[in-house]
Amino acid sequence: MSFLRKYAALAWISARSNFAYAGEVGGRLMFLSVILFIFMCVWKAAFANAGQDRFAGYSLDEIIWYLALTECIMMSSPRVTALIDEDVRTGAIAVQLVRPLSYPLYRLASNFGEQTVKFASTALVAVAIAWVLGGPPSNFGTGAMMVLIALPMAFVLDFLGYMLIGLGAFWLEDTTGLMLIYSRLTMIAGGMLMPLDLFPEPVQAILNALPFGYIVCGPARLLVHPDWVSLVSLLWHQLFWVVVMGTAVALVYRLALNRIALNGG
Amino acid sequence: MRHAVEVENLRKVYEVKKRRGFKSVKSEVVSVNNVSFSVPEGQALAFVGPNGAGKSTTIRMLTGILTPTSGEARVLGYTPWKDRAKMAFHIGAVFGQRSQLWYHLPAGDTFDLLAKIYNLDKFDYRRRRAELVERFDLGPFLDIPVRRLSLGQRMRAEVAASLLHGPRLILLDEPTIGLDIHARQQLRELIRDWNRREGLTVFLTSHDTGDIESVAERVMIINHGRLVLDETVDSLRKRNTGRSLEDALAHIYGLEMHQAVVL
Repeated sequence: MSFLRKYAALAWISARSNFAYAGEVGGRLMFLSVILFIFMCVWKAAFANAGQDRFAGYSLDEIIWYLALTECIMMSSPRVTALIDEDVRTGAIAVQLVRPLSYPLYRLASNFGEQTVKFASTALVAVAIAWVLGGPPSNFGTGAMMVLIALPMAFVLDFLGYMLIGLGAFWLEDTTGLMLIYSRLTMIAGGMLMPLDLFPEPVQAILNALPFGYIVCGPARLLVHPDWVSLVSLLWHQLFWVVVMGTAVALVYRLALNRIALNGG
Repeated sequence: MRHAVEVENLRKVYEVKKRRGFKSVKSEVVSVNNVSFSVPEGQALAFVGPNGAGKSTTIRMLTGILTPTSGEARVLGYTPWKDRAKMAFHIGAVFGQRSQLWYHLPAGDTFDLLAKIYNLDKFDYRRRRAELVERFDLGPFLDIPVRRLSLGQRMRAEVAASLLHGPRLILLDEPTIGLDIHARQQLRELIRDWNRREGLTVFLTSHDTGDIESVAERVMIINHGRLVLDETVDSLRKRNTGRSLEDALAHIYGLEMHQAVVL
C-alpha cells in the first residue's frame, strides 16, 4: 500500500502543480476553436463533394466530436521526453536517484497527474466548441463514460512510448528528433486527423497492429459510437501494449542505468 | 568507532570517444584513482578539489548512482551501487543547483510528499516537521509557493526537506551557491548545529572556503582523481598561519599544477 501511496501522492502533487498553468486554457480555447472550425470546413466540403451524409458510418457532427477528443488527447500529451532529456543532460536525475523511488514510475506518476489536468481543462473547452459546431452526439453520456474508462490506459500507453524515446537521452543526449517522429506517428497512425476506419482496409490492418490507435482513435471512437464490446476490446488491446511497452521501458532503463554517466561538475 | 563511510581503493575509469576526422578513437580517462578513506559517524567532512578533480564522481559512487570500475565502499553498512534503494532511506542529499521542491507549490506540500516517499509514520512526521520548521525558521513562508521565495529561503527549505526522514548521513553539494552573506551564514549555522545536535554525518563539497571553515572539522582534497590532503581544518589552519584557508587551498591546488603531491 505504501508503494501505491507514494506514487499516488506524486500524481496528485503534479496535478496540483499544473493548476498554475490554468491561464493556458485561454490559449487552448483559441487554438481549438480555429482548428476545429478548419476541420469542420474541410469535412463539410468532403461530405458535400461525395454527396453522402456518412463516411464509414460517421456523420459530419460525429467527425467533429471525434476530432475534438483526439485534439484533447494529443494536446495533453506528455513532455516526458524533454524532461528526461533535461534530467540526463544537466545531471538533475541525481535528485531522484538518491531517493527511494523508481525513476520511470516517478515520471509516470508525475505525468499522469499533469496529463489529467491538461486533458480536463482542454476537454471542457473542446466540448463547448464541438457542442456549438455540431450539437451533442447521441448517447453522449454513455460515450463520455466509456471514454473515461478507456483514458487511463491510453495515458499510460502514451507515456510509455515517450518514455522509451526519452530514455534514448542516455545514449543520444538529444532526443528531439526522435520525439518529433514519434509524435507525428501518433498523430497519423493514431487517427488524430481522421478515424482509422476511413483508411483503406489493408492500411487499417497495419495500423490496428500498432499501439498508436489505442491511444487516440480507440477512446475517441467510443465517444461517438459507444459500444461495450468495442470498449472491452480496446481495453484488452491497451493492456497488451502496456505490458509490451512497459517491459521494453524496464529493459531499456536497466541498460541506461548501467551506462549512466552524469553530466555536471 | 563506527564508520559512516568506508572507501577502499575506489577507482572509476571512463571510456571517452575522440573524433579524428571521420574515425572515432576510444581512450580512457581515470576520474578516480584508487581512493581510500573512512569517515566516522557524526563527523562533518569537506570534500574539495578543483573542477574536474573527481569529487562529483566519488560522491556519485558513494550514493550508488555510479558503479566503480574497481574498489569497495560501504556507506552506513550498505554497498551503495548494490543497495541504493535501501540506503536511500538513510541518506539525504542537497544539490545546490538542483531543487527537489515543487516549484509552483509551497514547500510544505513537498514535505507532505516526502513523508509518503519515505514511508514516514504520521505522528513522527508531524513532530519532525514542526521541529525543522521551528529550527530552520520556515514558518513565515512554508505556505508560499517556492517560486516566490528568495534563494536563501529556498535553500533553507531544501536542507530541511533533506532532513525530514531523519537521515544518518547528508551529502551537501554546493549548498550555499548563489546565496548572499547573511543567508550563507544562516545556512552554515543550521547545518553545523544539526551535525552537532543529531550526530548527523555531513559530507560537504563546496568551492566556498567559508562553508568549509564553518561546517567542517576535517577536509580532504582530491585532485586528478587522487587524495592529496586529508587533515583536520584546525591542523590545516595551524600549518598555514598568516594565510587564509582560501589561500592555503589555492596554494595546495597550485602545487598540484606543477607536481604530483600524493599522500
